[in-house]
Amino acid sequence: MQRNSFKAFTVGTLGCLALVGLAGCGSESPTATAPETEPTETASAEGDRGTLVIRANGEDFVREGFTTKDGWEVQFDNVYVSLADITAAQTDPPFDPEAGGTLEAKAEVKVEGTQVVDLAEGDESADPVLVSEVEAPAGRFNALAWRMVPAESGPSEGYTVWMQGTASKDGETIPFAIKVNEELAFTCGDFIGDERKGILAADEEADLEATFHFDHLFGDGGAPPDDSINTGALGFDPLAALATNGTLDVDSAALQAGLSEEDYTTFLAILPSLGHVGEGHCEEVRLTAL
Amino acid sequence: MRLKLALALALGAVGWALPVLGHGVGMEHRRVSSVEVQARFETGEPMAQAQVLVYAPDDPAEIWQQGTTDDQGRFSFVPDESVPGTWEVVVRQAGHGAIATIPVSDGAGAGAETNNGTGEPAPATTEPSASSVISPNTTLSPVQRGITIGAVIWGFIGTALFFARGKR
Repeated sequence: MQRNSFKAFTVGTLGCLALVGLAGCGSESPTATAPETEPTETASAEGDRGTLVIRANGEDFVREGFTTKDGWEVQFDNVYVSLADITAAQTDPPFDPEAGGTLEAKAEVKVEGTQVVDLAEGDESADPVLVSEVEAPAGRFNALAWRMVPAESGPSEGYTVWMQGTASKDGETIPFAIKVNEELAFTCGDFIGDERKGILAADEEADLEATFHFDHLFGDGGAPPDDSINTGALGFDPLAALATNGTLDVDSAALQAGLSEEDYTTFLAILPSLGHVGEGHCEEVRLTAL
Repeated sequence: MRLKLALALALGAVGWALPVLGHGVGMEHRRVSSVEVQARFETGEPMAQAQVLVYAPDDPAEIWQQGTTDDQGRFSFVPDESVPGTWEVVVRQAGHGAIATIPVSDGAGAGAETNNGTGEPAPATTEPSASSVISPNTTLSPVQRGITIGAVIWGFIGTALFFARGKR
C-alpha cells in the first residue's frame, strides 16, 4: 500500500514536471498580435524611471507635400503606417546598423501589439505623431526597432503602408491611393537630428522617433537630378502611367503587374530604406532577408 | 544613400615642450591624443563640408565641440582624457547622418580600450523580452538551454525512479 502511494506520488511529480516543461516551451511560441496596444514593462521596477514617448514622423515631405524628382506636386491626405513590436533599447556597445551585427540590449521597453498612425496628421507645426508612452528605466535609449505589418483594422486594413493624396503636373491632377503589402522590420541605432533623443532622466520624459523618408520613393525635385536621392528613386511618372480614368489605386500586386520589371525592382529596393531614426539609418531585416 | 564613418586615431604622448622664444613671440607645443573621423557616402564620395557634432560621455545631450569636415570628409578633435567613456561624433549633411562612437580610457588615449567604456551610465538591471524585435543579450544558446533543462528533468526522473524501485 505504502509502495503504491509512493508510486502514485512519483507519477504525479513527473506529470507536473512534464506539464511545467511543456508550458515553458509554449511560452516561446509565436503568439497572435494583441488587438490593443499596451506598453509592456520588461524592465526592472528597481532604480530611477521616467517616461519614454515614442513618436512617428513622416517629416515635411508628408505634412507639407513636395515636388517629386519628375516634377509632380504631391500632397498627402493620409499616410497610414502599421507599426508593431516597437522596442526601445539601451545598448552597449552602441548598435551600429551600418555594421550590422548583434544588438546587445542592456535594458529595453516594448510596445505590445500593432498600432496604425497617420503620418499626415496635423499641420506643419505639429509635433510628430504620438505612438505610445511607456514607463522606462532612466538611461540612454540609443536603439529603436519596429516591425511593419498589415493593419488589422481601420482604413488601411490589410496593408503595411497606405499613401493617399493627389499628384499634379502640367494641369493634370491624379488622386492616388498606393497600398503596400510588404512586411518590413527595422533595427536602428541612435537618433540623429537637430536634437538628441532617448536620453531619459529619472521622473522626466524623453522622445524617441521612428522616421520615414518617403522622398526615397518619389525623389526630391529640390535636389539635383544626379543626387542620389533622385538617382535611386522611382519618381511618380511610372505610377501615373498606371492611372485608370484619371485615378491611381494600386497595391503591391498591381504595381508588380503594371510596372516594368526594372521599376518594380526599384520599388522593392526602396522599401527597406524608408525607415530611419531622424537622419540615422536603420537595418531592414525582414524584406531584405527574403 | 548610406553613410560610412571611417575612424582614424592619432595617438601620441601628452606633454608640454619648452617654449620657443624669438623677438618677443612665445610659442609652445605639446603632443596630444587626437581622433580623426572620415565620413563618406556608400559610393565612396566624401561628405565634404558636413556638419560635425562631438558629444562627451559625461553629458551626451550637450554638444562638446562642433565643426565641419574638410573636402575629404575628415575632421579631427582631441577628446578630454579626463572624461573617459564613449565619445560620439555625429556627421550630418543633406538630411543624412552617421554616428561614430569612440571609446576613451582615463589618461590612456582614444581607442585604447574596447567599446565597454568605463564612462557609460550604469546598465539597468533588466532583461529583454523573448518576443522582442531586438535580439536579447543572453549567455546561453537555445541548444545549451535545452540541454540544461533536459538534464535537470532527467535528474528528477532518475531520483524518482531510484526511490520508487522499493525494497527487493
